Amino acid sequence: MKKLLALLLCLMLALPVFALAEDVEITLWTYPIGSWGNQETVDALIADFNAAYPNIKVKVQFIDYQTGDDQVTTAIEAKTTPDIIFEGPERLVANWGAKGKMLDLTDLFETEAGKAIYETVAGSCKGADGKYYEYPLCMTTHCMVINKKAFEAADAMKYIDETTRTWTTEGFEAACRALTENGFCPVTGIVYCGGQGGDQGTRALVYNLYSGHFTNEGFTVYTMDSEENIKGLEKLQAMVAEGILADDPGIVAGDAISLFCNGTASMCFCWNAALDSNNRATLAENVEPYAVAFPSDDGVPALDGGIWGFGIFDNGDEAKAAAAKEFIKFMCNDDAQAPKSVYATGYFATRPMGDIYTGTEKEGNTAYDAFSPYFGGYYQIAPNWANQRTEWWNLLQRIFAGGNVAEEVAVYISKTNL
Amino acid sequence: MIMAQTAAISQGMKAARRRENIAAYIFMAPSLLFFLGFVVFPMGMCLVTSFFNYTMSDFSFVGLANYQEMFGDAIFIRALINTIIIVVVSVPITCMFSLWVASIIYKMRQVNTSFFRCVFYLPVVTGSVAVTVVWKWIFNNYTGVLNYLAKNLGLIAKNVNWLGDPNTALWCIITILLTTSVGQPIVLYVSALANVDHSLVEAASVDGATSMQTFWRIKWPQIMPTTLYILVITTINSFQCFALIQLLTSGGPNNSTQTIMYYIYYEAFKLNRYGYGSAMGIILAIIIALFSAIQFRLAKTDNG
Repeated sequence: MKKLLALLLCLMLALPVFALAEDVEITLWTYPIGSWGNQETVDALIADFNAAYPNIKVKVQFIDYQTGDDQVTTAIEAKTTPDIIFEGPERLVANWGAKGKMLDLTDLFETEAGKAIYETVAGSCKGADGKYYEYPLCMTTHCMVINKKAFEAADAMKYIDETTRTWTTEGFEAACRALTENGFCPVTGIVYCGGQGGDQGTRALVYNLYSGHFTNEGFTVYTMDSEENIKGLEKLQAMVAEGILADDPGIVAGDAISLFCNGTASMCFCWNAALDSNNRATLAENVEPYAVAFPSDDGVPALDGGIWGFGIFDNGDEAKAAAAKEFIKFMCNDDAQAPKSVYATGYFATRPMGDIYTGTEKEGNTAYDAFSPYFGGYYQIAPNWANQRTEWWNLLQRIFAGGNVAEEVAVYISKTNL
Repeated sequence: MIMAQTAAISQGMKAARRRENIAAYIFMAPSLLFFLGFVVFPMGMCLVTSFFNYTMSDFSFVGLANYQEMFGDAIFIRALINTIIIVVVSVPITCMFSLWVASIIYKMRQVNTSFFRCVFYLPVVTGSVAVTVVWKWIFNNYTGVLNYLAKNLGLIAKNVNWLGDPNTALWCIITILLTTSVGQPIVLYVSALANVDHSLVEAASVDGATSMQTFWRIKWPQIMPTTLYILVITTINSFQCFALIQLLTSGGPNNSTQTIMYYIYYEAFKLNRYGYGSAMGIILAIIIALFSAIQFRLAKTDNG
């Protein structure tokens, strides 16, 4: 009897392997989400997968945010899309999913781990047609960062609540003034608007200043023309005109981060847990990064969130689709593997998974979990999103060139709310 | 007898010519197939799709709607103007500068000529990404060497955001374009000047012609075919200015560096409006063809 039970158990363990008995090769395209853009890290994760699924070969291609979208667009038109892609709902759900290029992953949400995914996160992975086009692995809230040494030198730390890492619009303005007078760094903060890279930072900066919202509750209409948001833009325009804040239509977030890390700017409006660990090695001696929420009039911010997960392109090959689902289940649902997969991103799990950073090299990331309660909703699935992104930095450019805020916002709204 | 021999020779010659023709076509076939597959066919596809609302999820016939939209699109008009400014400024400067440099270095010792050819050709063989990264450092608003030098020389009072200012951004692009464009024309002009018939130059000199007269009357007509080639190639390259814009300004600030090529890319790849992008591509091709035809015409007149 014992032997029979043992045999049955062995068979059950080997079941996934037998189910896909034939060798299958699948392709994975991954954007650089934390260390998922690092060959060594991804190879180790795939080695874990192959230990359990030796018959599924995973071919990886690393793509970046500069050219990745073009590569995917070209692949869609040439019908050479990968089987799996690792990115967020703004691409997987609102773009490729909405255009019928992705497979429905509803069955994955019906697994035990799938049912445990936070409701707000799961909702962001669902398209307007009710189908799930992304199975989420990790999430984070985007924040900003200040140079604590510069703030201390200018006696500006008093404007920040160090318990909650929040501050008010009034405090932000006073801090910028103090930093300008002190001159510890050549620039206080730079509102970058040279392109769409890291635009979540400038969006959150604007709509938080007077507690506005970027879209309506249903994420169907852009609301930059609200009184609060116009006031926020006018405030930034006035601060730039006064010289206590800088604008720069020649740079994007990546450049602004470099300028923060080399001590040129006292703060940067694009930051999160992964950026923190990735940029530690590049910090100048006089820079001590200290993550804070975006300032708001009531001191209660609403932060942009990032949700990243896997989607499967509809390539018409059932065997590959089945293998791709096994890969996703292994990376996201397997009790031993899922924490490793999340750890590689540097972000946080999308379902209860416990603390995965304490006692590790990325222990500092735990502090960023404090921002999770301020997650303001994933509005990046709003319609016409790709066009909106370009219109956004163009709007900022026009405003900082001296344009009338209300008029320029009206132009922006006319091009985004189609 | 003679007639029969003549007929046989004639037939033999015809057969030889036919064999030669067949051999020529066989040698030409790979290039021809490549040209048809990667140039003619895509051009045809571009023309066809320009009449469709072709997106990632739609392919419906819209006739001339894309063309109508284009001429009412303020950004397209801006891109067209910027592109023409780039061409009108950069093409003559490239040609004149290249001719000037070539006319100096072609007379030097071989080693020196080769050295200068290498120096000027270096930006051409260097990847455009590397070139733009270096220029981005030079133009950097906060740490750029240009601001540092200009401030220390007293030319500017405070830092200038070269790529972030609508008044300077396009000129920065043109400057970078010039550095990457002059290499090939210099090499071509050096060869062309070296091939000028020296007996004519000597004869002109004996007849008392000044060096300027010798250049314009003797050398210039002889290097005209090279000039025409350089004009056409530089014009096409300037019209197709894309990588610099994509890597440095994304068309900004306020569309001040928007070019047709970048706008085509933006509409086709960012917004997935392939039909609209194709329509702009067709218009760009027509404009380039017109410019080239004018250049051929003018060069022919000069030559004649």
